[in-house]
Amino acid sequence: MIPLKYNFRNLRVRWVTTVMTVLGTGAVVWCSAILFGMVDGLQRSLNVSGDPRGLIVCRKGQTNETTSGVELSKAESIVTLDGIEHDEAGTPLAALEMTNIPVAERLNGSHTNIIVRGVDPESPKLRPNFTVVSGRYFEPGKGECVVSRNLSKRFKGTSLGGILKVGEKESYRVVGLFTAGGSAAESEVWVDRQDLERNTGNRGYASSVRLRAASLDGLTTLQQTIEGDPQFKLKAWTEPEYYQKQERSGLFLKVFGSIIAILLTIGAMFAAANTMFAAVSARTREIGTMRALGFSRFDVLISFLGESILLCALGGALGLLATIPLSALTFGISNFDSFTEVTVNFHLGPLAMTVAVAMTAAMGIFGGLFPALRAVKLDVITSLREL
Amino acid sequence: MKFLHYILRNARRNPLRSVLTVASVSVCLFLMMILISFLSINDEVNDSVRIFNRIVTMSSQGFGQPVPIVRVSEIAALDGVIATTPFSWYGGKYNEEVMPFAQFGVDPKTIFTIYDELHLPADQLKAFQEDMTGCVIGKKLAGDRGLKVGDRLPLKDGAYPVNLDLTIRGIYDGPANRDLRMCMFNWGYLDESLKRDFGGRGSGNAGIVVIKCRNAEIMASLSKQIDKEYANSDTPTRTQTEEQFGKMFAEMIGDVRSFIGNVGLAVVFSLVCVAGNAMAMSMRERTTEVAVLKAIGFGKPLLLFFVLAEAVLVAGLGGVVGALGSKLFFDAFDVARYSAGFLPFFYVPWSTAILGLALSLAIGFLSGVVPAFRAAQLPVVTGLRKVV
Amino acid sequence: MKKGAKSMPNKLAIVLRGVSKEYRRDEIRIPVLFDLDLEVEEGEYLALMGPSGSGKTTLLNLIAGLDHPTAGEVCVRGQDITQLSDSELTRWRGNHIGFVFQLYNLIPVLTALENVELPLLLTSLSRQRRKENVRTALRIVGLEGREDHYPRQLSGGQEQRVAIARAFVTDPYLLVADEPTGDLDRSSAGEILELLVQLNREFQKTIVMVTHDPLAAQRASRILRLDKGQLVGDIAQSQLGAIL
Repeated sequence: MIPLKYNFRNLRVRWVTTVMTVLGTGAVVWCSAILFGMVDGLQRSLNVSGDPRGLIVCRKGQTNETTSGVELSKAESIVTLDGIEHDEAGTPLAALEMTNIPVAERLNGSHTNIIVRGVDPESPKLRPNFTVVSGRYFEPGKGECVVSRNLSKRFKGTSLGGILKVGEKESYRVVGLFTAGGSAAESEVWVDRQDLERNTGNRGYASSVRLRAASLDGLTTLQQTIEGDPQFKLKAWTEPEYYQKQERSGLFLKVFGSIIAILLTIGAMFAAANTMFAAVSARTREIGTMRALGFSRFDVLISFLGESILLCALGGALGLLATIPLSALTFGISNFDSFTEVTVNFHLGPLAMTVAVAMTAAMGIFGGLFPALRAVKLDVITSLREL
Repeated sequence: MKFLHYILRNARRNPLRSVLTVASVSVCLFLMMILISFLSINDEVNDSVRIFNRIVTMSSQGFGQPVPIVRVSEIAALDGVIATTPFSWYGGKYNEEVMPFAQFGVDPKTIFTIYDELHLPADQLKAFQEDMTGCVIGKKLAGDRGLKVGDRLPLKDGAYPVNLDLTIRGIYDGPANRDLRMCMFNWGYLDESLKRDFGGRGSGNAGIVVIKCRNAEIMASLSKQIDKEYANSDTPTRTQTEEQFGKMFAEMIGDVRSFIGNVGLAVVFSLVCVAGNAMAMSMRERTTEVAVLKAIGFGKPLLLFFVLAEAVLVAGLGGVVGALGSKLFFDAFDVARYSAGFLPFFYVPWSTAILGLALSLAIGFLSGVVPAFRAAQLPVVTGLRKVV
Repeated sequence: MKKGAKSMPNKLAIVLRGVSKEYRRDEIRIPVLFDLDLEVEEGEYLALMGPSGSGKTTLLNLIAGLDHPTAGEVCVRGQDITQLSDSELTRWRGNHIGFVFQLYNLIPVLTALENVELPLLLTSLSRQRRKENVRTALRIVGLEGREDHYPRQLSGGQEQRVAIARAFVTDPYLLVADEPTGDLDRSSAGEILELLVQLNREFQKTIVMVTHDPLAAQRASRILRLDKGQLVGDIAQSQLGAIL
């Protein structure tokens, strides 16, 4: 085995080329890591949102609360069902909620739709770690709202004390900012449900009913009871199921991102190959010497392949490191089902890391393969005679 | 000019290196063409609809809010309006596929007057108008799925709690940059079903109203007039030109735009490194030759020119293959049919392809700058020193 | 300093006065030439000889305008070239000097014809005129018929002949050759030297040649010996027989 030290030294001696190649491959890994970091962020928010004992009841056939409608009388009766967990005061952990998707203005002047959720008093308990991090929770009937901290960074009027204008007729005063453990609620504005009913004139229907079952077995029974109702065709999704269905936007990003990553990898592969071919032709004499000394073809092959992988690994590491400054950023992505904006925290999760490693390996191996093969095809005498 | 053959030969000196560089540049540019086209198609389409003089009325509170159907006929009565139609989004499943194409409830009597760039044979139009459960589909959709006039098109689980059992009565055609994968059905059928089976819940909603104006000049005043009329109602409206409406959608994509911008910059940076590296390696191998040229009397400006020209040539070739190649590729292959309903069409606009080409030339130039200066600065004597 | 024997008064092609040259590497100064004076007449064929490190190539570089002396004047054709800027010197070289190198230094991607044409691209001659001049030059060096060959398709001797054609196709004032036969076998070397003599005698070209090879020096009209950066011998051809 030709020692790795040889490769390190060579990379250092031809440092200009090494640096250029590392920068080239690093930039490419950076792009993909960013994109998949967004996907990971989206994934994480969906995962965190799924309480295994939670149920979301919508109209049957709807995958999204925003287009669903459950008759109020039915919705209210669901809250009284057996099997729902109760809090210390004995109130069932269940809430009727109404979602509205008005247009809001971003800080940069562009517009998009956001989710304004009319909630019941129990709603915060049905989210993971719902915490008001500044200000206070709203009081019903006063035109107040609380806004997710993520949202407050991106939309006009959403900072503490601001007036949030939604659509043309509604405006709410922001009295508090909240976090909810990274869950989907962190893309939302919360107001009192009855306030929202009044403002939008949507009476008689709720978008959904949320509840938490007291136990996992009780969960299944509850589901069956709710769905079994012949008159109102309802569907009771478990929270994990419900949020997985929102995957469509995530899927689009994954496909999109994969195409980008594959093309970038191919492009960078050619670049790595270029560098390695030049390295081989510059070192033909050395190769001849090594072979004359007794190193086998295989040793030489592995050595050059290893150098190529090393080179690309440096690039990959650089690319990943360069994403760190972005880890604090919040992105807005469109949810293509509800046409609302989902705010996502960038997260260098398993998907992003896997993609980065895969790309690096592909570039290193395929980029270095042909040059390495060329290195071993050189016969000893010719290479020693090389000028 | 007279030095062209030398420059060309230099580019071909190490054919493998040049090919690999061209390959890198072209693959990355191909990708950038895809990304940029996403944005520029939208802009191009929005520009192109200007001539149709259409305005769109929606609820000022967003898509979630209704526009009462009565307004369709109220607006039609206004001066300067040629025709109006509701345009109610259904968005249902077809054979368990979630929203594989857009589905809208419209007024069959006016829809093709308003969208006059879309063509439907007269007999099919008549059939569509006479059949309450009829629908028309776009030519590309028919092609994708082998659907013909007379086939059934059952849709379910859309934005409304009714299922639509439609029959295809016509297949419409139009320019390549319009959605030729839509399904349009009779709004009345949806409304009747809601009233009959669901107590009218959700009925009477036009969704949005699309209006054909007599000419371009009155669009602005008409829009204001409509919004003023309904400003104090329960469902105030927001009316804008079709172009503005389209731009509104584009805005919703939000951060994707800046992401694409950043990826673009990173890719350009990467390519400058890659092409620059290749150029630097080549020049390192030619130090003696550069010195000889200097000895003979070729000055710094000429040497700069030689190196930069070679770099621009190689990268430019990558640009031709990548940018122009991508345009040809997407013109030849209809990738939209495999996008599961996300994209009604996809192509690379000329403006984008030219941008890609220009970008490749810039990359070539930037990549050649440092090697060019090094060659120009090389002292002749150093270059001529015999390497023993 | 001894002037070579003159049969009739000739103009001075090259005049060096008090020329010194030292190289700097970091803090270290390496002196190569010491206070040299030299006069070369037009039409002379001068050979510079001396052991390695004697400074003969350095001297050649100074005469050819490839480098500036640390001190002193270098006058060629009456003009002090030490006063010229880098870009002026480059242009001056193109107009006045023809180069012949030991390793030929032809451009590998250009044919023989294109290589010879190279210096003409710096002039404003029309394409046709250029081609004419090139063919003439190639004819003189005896390489008609090989115009479209690339250097790799030519033998060492042929390459050097192309190089010589390239050197005089612009009709330069001075031909400068650095070990022109250093890489050639005996018979090719002989042909090259014949060619140089022909250029000197028939076309009155002033030639300054650095060489190791006594047989090459034999063809010159005057030999200068350099040792440790100073001229130590100046022998005219007529006196050569006595020395050798």
